[in-house]
Amino acid sequence: MSALSVCSSLQAPLGPQLEQTQHGVFLLGALLRLLLGRIMRRSGHLVSCERKLFVVGVSSSPVRPVVGSDVSNMRSSSSGLILRSRSTDVYQNLALEDWIDANVDLQQRGVLLLWRNRPAVVIGRHQNPWTECDLRAMRRVGIPLARRRSGGGTVFHDLGNLNLTFFTSKKAYDRKRNLKVITEALRRVRPGLDVQATDRFDILLNGHYKISGTASRLSRKSSYHHCTLLHSADRSALSAVLRPSCPGIHSNATPSVPSPVANLLDHAPTLQWEELLDGLEQQYNTEFGCSSASTLIDPADESAFPGLSRTAAELRSWDWTFGKTPKFSVQTLLDLTDGRSSARSSTRLHMEVKNGLIESCELDVPEDWLPRPLSAELTNSLVGERFCPHRAAAAAAALLRTESGELQSRLHNLCDAVVSVMG
Amino acid sequence: MAACGLFRSLSSNFSTVLPLLTRTAPLSPLRLASKPYFRRTLASSSRLSAALKFTDKHEWIRVEDDGIGTVGISNFAQEALGDVVYCGLPEVGTQLAQQDEFGALESVKAASELYSPLTGEVVEVNTLLADNPGLVNKSCYKDGWLMKMTIAKPAELDALMDEAAYERYIRSIED
Repeated sequence: MSALSVCSSLQAPLGPQLEQTQHGVFLLGALLRLLLGRIMRRSGHLVSCERKLFVVGVSSSPVRPVVGSDVSNMRSSSSGLILRSRSTDVYQNLALEDWIDANVDLQQRGVLLLWRNRPAVVIGRHQNPWTECDLRAMRRVGIPLARRRSGGGTVFHDLGNLNLTFFTSKKAYDRKRNLKVITEALRRVRPGLDVQATDRFDILLNGHYKISGTASRLSRKSSYHHCTLLHSADRSALSAVLRPSCPGIHSNATPSVPSPVANLLDHAPTLQWEELLDGLEQQYNTEFGCSSASTLIDPADESAFPGLSRTAAELRSWDWTFGKTPKFSVQTLLDLTDGRSSARSSTRLHMEVKNGLIESCELDVPEDWLPRPLSAELTNSLVGERFCPHRAAAAAAALLRTESGELQSRLHNLCDAVVSVMG
Repeated sequence: MAACGLFRSLSSNFSTVLPLLTRTAPLSPLRLASKPYFRRTLASSSRLSAALKFTDKHEWIRVEDDGIGTVGISNFAQEALGDVVYCGLPEVGTQLAQQDEFGALESVKAASELYSPLTGEVVEVNTLLADNPGLVNKSCYKDGWLMKMTIAKPAELDALMDEAAYERYIRSIED
């Protein structure tokens, strides 16, 4: 590959946080390419993938060709690699984690990935979104829901919440050590800051406020441990969405452990985002004995990350996000009213939901409120549908078209009440 | 339960930690009749059944008389995993190729992927794990089975480790 074509493949804006020498940028790119190349070779991917430099950094001086000794020097001196994602799309970043886990050789060296997302709620692998967050409120303000592949509880992401992912081999998996990187870094940039990691692998500020939570995933050969770090998140948005969508859900899904939270910025008002990231990167280097400068990467670049967009699409799908919810039942009482008079009634509702689909649905609407056959038609129309307000409303709408008069009004009210349970 | 003394140090070098479930549900009459040795083997808690084969991901598979393979995780794996809080298991009827991800165990340590030891179809899943995931830790070989599957390619089974080989493997990775 000529120097010219190498230059043109580096056409991307330099991130403000990159202050590397051209040499450093190129070497890191070569290292990434080497890592990528090794994996690509093993899995028989196109050779052209090896040639892609996905370093998104540009310099004004001409790039010189990499020589073998540069790369091996880089390798022997570097037992860690630090990446920053330029994406703020939660699905892309989660897919990036999966991509790195599957494609980068982590047996000899680890990787630290720093990322943040536009506002989103992220639930753990085996959680129930209907109990963990207010889906209606999220829909209203356009906050998406994502389910990650690691375990743990529900978190609110926004641009003030830093995510760190520590990738290692399974042998080197050590959450305590990773959290030490964070607490040491914080104490370095702000001596006297009272931050402590707990047994649950949270980080508490002043012994009381949670500023970081942890989750992890162990796969075939490698592992990743990721955690949040609250720098300047929107706490009112956080508390508005992290509450249940509906009452009466019984489930064995893994529950979150709610904690009072605080932002670092509130307790260290001069700690800017860049200073925080630099401090963390430095401490990672210190802890793991390496000297990496961070590299900005773009997960949206399909040529650099083949297959990532397909993973992101899977993560966006209803089947993953909602369909992976452990089996649960809904048992609640619905108040019924009549649009035409002040008459009231109530009914119990019992639904069993598996894979996000309504397996069974039972109502006990009093016979004098609505004839049994009518409420039975409603429950029948819901069985097999997604536990989702849109689908349920559509099923109910078809039923409503067949009724009129007083019954229609009561049936409509019943349908609304049932649909409202679904978030 | 076998292999209790095999390891004392917790290692994070394990592939899958399967929740093991103490199976208290009664065995079907067919099963009871066809496997009297099964119970005897269970009663001698110090030995693994000779019929167990192991993967390098610390899963075991035991072939029953009806040709169905029961899958679980080893004691090494359950110890390394820590307390299991949730078992994500596949649907009956799922087709699995060897090494396919078929579920995950969530423990205090992490969410650990489960990989199919063989190629086959899931015919049964241990439903007791849903309400009692900690059973995985309590009884990994006896009742802590995860799923049962058909064995589409018996040759794959031959390539797995027997008990002695697995014990050697454990020792080698602990060093």
